[in-house]
Amino acid sequence: MIEQKREKKFLTIFRRPSSETGIWSWITTVDHKKIGIMYGYAAFLFLLLGGLEALFLRIQLSQPDNNFLSAAEYNAMFTMHGTTMVFLAIMPISAAFFNYLLPLQIGARDVAFPRLNALSYWIWVFGGLFLYSTFIFGTAGAPQGGYLAEEIGWLGRAPNGGWFGYQPNAGFQYSPGTAMDYWAIGLQILGISSLVSAFNFITTILNMRAKGMRLMRMPVFTWMTFAVAFLLAFSLPIIAIALFFVTFDRQFGTTFFLVEGGGDPVLWQHLFWLFGHPEVYILILPAFGIVSEVLPTFSRKPLFGYAAIVFAGFGIAFIGFGVWAHHMFASSISTVAQAGFGISTMIIAVPTGVKIFNWLGTIWGGKLNLKTPMLFALGFIAMFVIGGLSGVTHSIVPADTQQTDTYYIVAHFHYVLFGGAMFGIFSGLYYWFPKLWGKMYNERLGQLHFWFMLIGFNLTFGPMHWLGLQGQIRRTWVYAEETNLGFWNLISTIGAFIIAISILLFMINWSYSKRKGPKAPMDPWDARTLEWTIPSPTPTWNFSTPPEVHNLDDFWHKKYDEDNEGRAVRKEGADEYVEELERDGLNPKSTIELPNPSYFPFVLSSGLPFLGYAVIYKSLAFLGIGLILLLIGGFGWAIEPLEEHIVGEEEE
Amino acid sequence: MSDHGYPHEITGVETRKLGMWVFLSTEILFFGTLITTYLIFKGRSFDGMRLEDVYDIPFTSVSSFVLLMSSLTMVLAHNAIEKSDQERTNIWLLSTALLGAVFLAGQIYEFTEFYHKGFTLDVNIYGSTFYVLTGFHGAHVFIGVVLLLILWGIGVRQEGLSLEGGMNLEFIALYWHFVDIVWIVLFTVVYLI
Amino acid sequence: MNDPHKPHPTPKQYVQIAIVLGVLTAIEVALYYTEDIVGIFTDPLLMILAIGKFVIVVGWFMHLRFENKLVNRFFVGGMILALFLFAIVMLERASGNYF
Repeated sequence: MIEQKREKKFLTIFRRPSSETGIWSWITTVDHKKIGIMYGYAAFLFLLLGGLEALFLRIQLSQPDNNFLSAAEYNAMFTMHGTTMVFLAIMPISAAFFNYLLPLQIGARDVAFPRLNALSYWIWVFGGLFLYSTFIFGTAGAPQGGYLAEEIGWLGRAPNGGWFGYQPNAGFQYSPGTAMDYWAIGLQILGISSLVSAFNFITTILNMRAKGMRLMRMPVFTWMTFAVAFLLAFSLPIIAIALFFVTFDRQFGTTFFLVEGGGDPVLWQHLFWLFGHPEVYILILPAFGIVSEVLPTFSRKPLFGYAAIVFAGFGIAFIGFGVWAHHMFASSISTVAQAGFGISTMIIAVPTGVKIFNWLGTIWGGKLNLKTPMLFALGFIAMFVIGGLSGVTHSIVPADTQQTDTYYIVAHFHYVLFGGAMFGIFSGLYYWFPKLWGKMYNERLGQLHFWFMLIGFNLTFGPMHWLGLQGQIRRTWVYAEETNLGFWNLISTIGAFIIAISILLFMINWSYSKRKGPKAPMDPWDARTLEWTIPSPTPTWNFSTPPEVHNLDDFWHKKYDEDNEGRAVRKEGADEYVEELERDGLNPKSTIELPNPSYFPFVLSSGLPFLGYAVIYKSLAFLGIGLILLLIGGFGWAIEPLEEHIVGEEEE
Repeated sequence: MSDHGYPHEITGVETRKLGMWVFLSTEILFFGTLITTYLIFKGRSFDGMRLEDVYDIPFTSVSSFVLLMSSLTMVLAHNAIEKSDQERTNIWLLSTALLGAVFLAGQIYEFTEFYHKGFTLDVNIYGSTFYVLTGFHGAHVFIGVVLLLILWGIGVRQEGLSLEGGMNLEFIALYWHFVDIVWIVLFTVVYLI
Repeated sequence: MNDPHKPHPTPKQYVQIAIVLGVLTAIEVALYYTEDIVGIFTDPLLMILAIGKFVIVVGWFMHLRFENKLVNRFFVGGMILALFLFAIVMLERASGNYF
């Protein structure tokens, strides 16, 4: 039974919303699980858009001297592909995982600041919509001698300065029109979203753990979430400033990056990569965390070297702040800097290697259960190692000056970001599918997805290694017939379409199984962490009694004993214990207070795009609307009564 | 959430206070980047107006002193609410807000003077770095003043701040002191060195 | 507010701290005018004074000296990171290259 309980609170103007179902319940929710699901779906939609942009690129490159896309459209497509995949696909899918799982894994009811959590989501949504509104409202052009804005079709109306927006190319002189402003301001808004999430998660992990859940008993996925939150917290302010500089240079006449005004274009590169490098660790650490959960479960063995993996994760995060200029070896930094950053880049391979060996150690001697999550986790290891190896070759400065701006680099980062992060993410999506929906996905389709994706992925990006070394340049819309690059480019394009098919298989599996799939038990994988001790789909209140933890992998210890040779032996009453957990989980015996939904995160976030439009179009009207929405949102939030609603039976 | 069975704040630091300190450490990076950018260009040989051509150290010193004193009034307000002296709390809150407003007025006056003398935002890199750095600081002061006034308003309306309000005062105080220490660094680095 | 920690300074002590801050500021301003006399010591001295004021406000007004170690570590950690990045960037600038 769910009841409303109102505390006496002065200055009550609105009742807090109370819908449990329907669209309003989603718009006003502060429940971390609902927020996680919303992140997941929206991010997947953007993943599809980013994938479409990639397919356009691949079609253009499938033949030499092709004209499927014009140069202008090509620039827009690779810019949007990169920007979308990084900021609107991988980061928010990771956020979906953090949001849904973090409180469950530490045994909490929700995050530290639930409304702030909702705010992060809505700011992100509005940021993404703002960025994509460039296709409707944006204009792009080139200075004299280039193309005219009017000649470009709508595909070319998007930001076209690359996802890294190098100055002054992406400045007002060489990128006139409004598209790059949409880029800079859009990213600015998205950055705020992640920054807010970061300190929410840090505070949650520190303060909201269940009894006995010491830091060194937390699941590795939680630890990786922690590391990612630190990376976000300390790198986002830097890009925020950098983006302000870009917008000011473009709109208000400052000269941060303009030599004529005393500025320096290389400053942008430093600031961007000071953020950009931690950013790529932000992209990969969640996958590291997911794989560290999947491998032990499907190898029926504990994670090899838990402490080493945790410390290595933080080592990577910390050193990650010291390698940024390896993106700038060809950008006239001093030789001292080149040497220093080359060395630090080599060093960062060490903690990464530690993790790989630990994962291999986990699998070694285990009883492997090759279900879809495991296949993706194994694929992750293989693909990520390949990407990591090419990465290490970049750390050698003279070699890098050959590789830079060629497809060799494109191969590297796709192997780590797609073969790494995305494979890890798919592993997690299949692994936690039963927890989310209480149903099981179709294993056959899952396996098909994996194999199509593995093959398609390697066909697409494998050839890029040698295409790059043979001289195919990045970010260039055509290559000449004489270069003899056509054959492997065609293979690459075919691979891209195979990837597309695999994604379709995933979508079919997901949408069908979530509705019509067989019912999944509470603990289908015989797993180790707290989220598997509660019913599926997860009840609103998460845990009906707050868990108490005595060990790392506490749930496993409740089900299994160790025999003399250290092998796991299932305890006598383990099955009954699991059943009892499920029964209790569905029927909370005491009152549970949950934070009430709220309108104001949504209202507040809606003001931000208006501010963005105000800057671009110099419109006081938009500024006014934006500020008013911000004020209403902020003010309403501040004076909103901190009510909670109760679930479960009333205590006498 | 007041949930029995959950250990109250494992770290021993109140959750919202912890959140505020984490937020402030991100602000260190924010202002750190701005200050670093300023220092990168400071002293480079480039034609055009510089800050040194237009500033007025005595004036800015007084401004800085005003902001420093606002930190004192802020901490006195905090002290007062701890002793549940609602009247004093209100007085000190209002004083802090007023001192902050005086600082801002000083900044606005200063900048207007600079503009008249030709040191504008878009004159060259020195204008860019100076105004964006001090401008962001000023924006933070402005937000702080607004928050202080709101808190003061609630205190007057309710005839005293509740426990909740007292907590909020502590957070706003942390924010306000942070804004002050940024200025301590700014004043030295931008004007004096 | 109900954390068991060492007692706050009294209002009187706060005023004393404020006076110290005021004096430090006055010295800073004086240094600016006496640059010819103090010579190359001016900048280092100014920085020391600024750091001194910074530490006083953070330690006493923001109460960091009396807070839980965790909070301390966040702030100090952020400072160390910022200073480290600042140092690298300034070194790069000093190397004289384009940047």
